[in-house]
Amino acid sequence: MDVEDVFSSSLRIKIIKSLMRLGELNVSEIARRLRVNYETANRHLKILEDEGILQPKRFGRIRLYRLNEHSSKAKAVQQLIETWESEDRQHASRTLK
Amino acid sequence: MSRYKSVFKDETKLDINYVPNKLLHRNKELDMLKEFSSFMLQSPGKMAQRIIITGDVGTGKTALSQRFGADMTLEAAKRGINLRYVHVNCREYRGSLFLILQQAVSVFHPTFPKRGYSAEELLQTFVQVLDDENAYVILALDEFESLVEREGSEAVYKLTRLSEARHGKPQRLSLICILRNLKAIERLDDSTKSTLQSNIIRLERYAKQQLVDILNDRVSLAFKPLAVSDEAVELIAGLAFSENGNARFGIELLWRAGKYADTENLGAVPPECVRKAVSSIIPAMRKSDLAPLSLHEKLFLLGVSKIFKDNQEAHVSLAEAEQTYAVICEEFGEESNSHTQLWKYVQNLAALGILDAEVSASDGRGRSTMICLPRIPADTLEKELKSLLEKGE
Repeated sequence: MDVEDVFSSSLRIKIIKSLMRLGELNVSEIARRLRVNYETANRHLKILEDEGILQPKRFGRIRLYRLNEHSSKAKAVQQLIETWESEDRQHASRTLK
Repeated sequence: MSRYKSVFKDETKLDINYVPNKLLHRNKELDMLKEFSSFMLQSPGKMAQRIIITGDVGTGKTALSQRFGADMTLEAAKRGINLRYVHVNCREYRGSLFLILQQAVSVFHPTFPKRGYSAEELLQTFVQVLDDENAYVILALDEFESLVEREGSEAVYKLTRLSEARHGKPQRLSLICILRNLKAIERLDDSTKSTLQSNIIRLERYAKQQLVDILNDRVSLAFKPLAVSDEAVELIAGLAFSENGNARFGIELLWRAGKYADTENLGAVPPECVRKAVSSIIPAMRKSDLAPLSLHEKLFLLGVSKIFKDNQEAHVSLAEAEQTYAVICEEFGEESNSHTQLWKYVQNLAALGILDAEVSASDGRGRSTMICLPRIPADTLEKELKSLLEKGE
């Protein structure tokens, strides 16, 4: 999938941000946090998994997703989000002053 | 205006969850635990261990297990072994195997879902997690009685036999079962019992001097220098000893006494603060205990309360108490009773739990009876007695 297609979805960005913050989550928990149904969450997770950005780990019926630490795409996306949010925080604190 | 000065330098050292670097008077038991578990460092995965630690409340079971866990994991890390110590209080998790295992899994996967699977599946998950992480776990099940009460033999059997079901694979889960007495184990079926009872470490109640050592150690960690007198420590140790050698009770008293000292901005912890602390935990005195005493018992006790109110001692000799009693008798226009009679009063008051009395040979002139007012603040006792005497009761 092309990069513009992968990141055309705000849900997929939110999934990555949640996993950056919490480390790992199962499908139901991701669906609950993003207020979408299980199937929707599952579909987006599958796309990110296929791109190698996420890594699933199965424990019986439970699937836990985390960012793939061996994927350079995952590292690049994390770097982008961290830089973006850090710039936003700096801008907000300058505005407050 | 006086500035507030706390007697504490670090009161977290008196917290129930604090584990001292060195456990006093439990070296032998700690060495035994390490001996039982030495294979975890030498050839991890070769076998799994099951150990029972048993002893009364406040004998250091939890602290012993936690110290052992901390020492073992540190040593394992030095050797590149991924060994974790997981301490779970079964009562906190209502004795549920499911919740206990969930706690253990959450050490490795903090966001692991809380619902949607059985205890059996969770047990398999736990094993899988350990395999994935190439980890070994010492699972300490504190207040093990709760698990036995709620789940019975089957759950305990599953935990203890987990290793045996994994032929040819590393043994990753060792258990420490912590409980007050072995009665709970008796309720298990024979095969479960037999897997548990091979290594038992019994903790005896602490002796009074051992409690003094433990309290002095905590005093040096938690209080500013010279903030707690030997007399106060001695008094607390005596009280903890009378509560079945309960060190935890003693440490809590120490903390409370420090809090009373801080509330009154005393800058030090006198025995009176200890008495206030103990009376806040145990309602030691009811008016109904004092009212039936004879007039002269009340007068004698009033003298004792005045002595302790005015000095910083934890003990006073019967001779000194007798002198004060004579003065009180004069105030109330009563003729004082004989020494022998007073000795009988002391015995009676000790039997009622109001005073403690012990024979001491420390004054160099033979034996003398030493009186201690361990549980009731002298100030409170004096007020109660005065009120009763004024009413002519």
